[in-house]
Amino acid sequence: MNKTVLAAIIVVIAMLGFTYVAVGSAGGMGGDGDWVNKLAVLGAVVLVIITAFVVTKYVRQMQSDTASGKLADENWDGIGEYKNELPLGWAVIFLGSVVWAIWYFLAGYPVNAYSQIGEYNEEVAAHDAKFDAQFANMDESTLNAMGESVFIVQCAPCHGLQADGMGGKAADLHQRLAEKSVKYVIMNGGNNNLLGTSMPMPDRNGLMNANTNALITDAEIDAVAKYVAGGLKGTEGASVFAGTCAACHGPDGKGMEMVAPNIAEMSPSMVDMVLHHGKKGAIGQMPAFTNLTAVQYKALDAYVASLSKK
Amino acid sequence: MFHWLEKNPFFFAVAVFVVIAFAGLIEILPNFAQASRPVIGTKPYTTLELAGRHVYIKNSCNACHSQLIRPFKSETDRYGHYSLSGEYAYDRPFLWGSKRTGPDLHRVGNYRTTDWHENHMKDPAAVVPGSIMPAYTWMFKNTADIDTAYAEQLTVMKAFAVPYNKELPMADGSKVTVALADTVEGARASALEEAKVIAVDMKDQDVKDAVAAGQVPEIVALIAYLNSLK
Repeated sequence: MNKTVLAAIIVVIAMLGFTYVAVGSAGGMGGDGDWVNKLAVLGAVVLVIITAFVVTKYVRQMQSDTASGKLADENWDGIGEYKNELPLGWAVIFLGSVVWAIWYFLAGYPVNAYSQIGEYNEEVAAHDAKFDAQFANMDESTLNAMGESVFIVQCAPCHGLQADGMGGKAADLHQRLAEKSVKYVIMNGGNNNLLGTSMPMPDRNGLMNANTNALITDAEIDAVAKYVAGGLKGTEGASVFAGTCAACHGPDGKGMEMVAPNIAEMSPSMVDMVLHHGKKGAIGQMPAFTNLTAVQYKALDAYVASLSKK
Repeated sequence: MFHWLEKNPFFFAVAVFVVIAFAGLIEILPNFAQASRPVIGTKPYTTLELAGRHVYIKNSCNACHSQLIRPFKSETDRYGHYSLSGEYAYDRPFLWGSKRTGPDLHRVGNYRTTDWHENHMKDPAAVVPGSIMPAYTWMFKNTADIDTAYAEQLTVMKAFAVPYNKELPMADGSKVTVALADTVEGARASALEEAKVIAVDMKDQDVKDAVAAGQVPEIVALIAYLNSLK
């Protein structure tokens, strides 16, 4: 018995000992252990013995082997090389990786590489297509529900959940114009792109009252502001409105195409213009909201316009 | 040379590292330089905006608010276009934040206004029901540090060639020049001019009086900064 076999036997005994110490009491060796544990321990024992056997075989082969075979013609400083066949498995893997490399270079990586932005674009396109298809022909209640939900997310931070402007922090959307806003626009003029084009309204220095043939006066401004804010009802201020405002905004205040916006009530198209262009008035600046889809604009326009009619 | 390297394994390893590191650098650096270049439309901060940025940092706004919109539909629906690395070109340091207790602010200038910020900083729950954000009332009294902002502007212009006083292309094809004053007095004056534009849209009489008296309250600087986030 040579030293190698002796060493192998010692290693096997040591490892079996470790195995027993580690798991023997856990049921592997005892009578009450279950079959799964016994099989696992048996597997460990078999692995140890096979490993020792294989290692011993190759170590002894290395000790006793002598090289044989046909030498290649070339040699380098007396060191030669045997002519061996390519191992089949190695050759298959080599050729396979050549084919894979060509595929990877031409198609795999550069064309189909993962891109975070690409995934985002696909996600958005897929969602938009589904959204548009689902809400292409909405009924009235769906449109209203969508408008309300968009309102809560986009508009409520300033106009409040009740759309009342939270005590003057933003416009009260239940009325077309507050008295303060009417006064502000008469004093300062207006240019809020409500018709989609930059169509300025003159300030008080350009507003004539046709009844008196003079510039509008402070008292007339007060009267007409109350009249417009009150929804063009009553008689006070009506004559000033007819003399000064009606020329552009129409006798009923509903505006004229390409000339002046509707100041009697909110219309969906006017709301749409405010959303797209923003607005600056008596209360402050409203920013433009450009991040909605066409369907959402339609729903929100209708919802906000309906608020003022309630 | 190669014979020498073959006989000195340590220096051979060093040489291998140098060669591979060089190959890595020429692949990584140009792309990095390209991605960190300012996006068209990004411009350096004005004196008042930078002072506002200091207020933002001083009050640790970045502990609760991120400035980084990720490319997910749910985020871009709410906050706008996802953030690009070049948009942070003039941020030193960037304020990406690591946690959103409040919403992202990277494009807050697009959908909130001066008067909204004023209402909100005074009493957050009054405009956002249920908000847990505290009120920042001292910002209405404290004076913004314009001098430090100007010093930072000068430093970044000299050390990092930040393009102050140069024409910058904007996304819509126009050109914008962010002016930087020659002297600290000039910087104070230009910051005050910016502050006056903001104060017009504000309601707080103390703030209006302070700006009229030549002071710049912190809230005005902060609002200028928040409005510049687009």
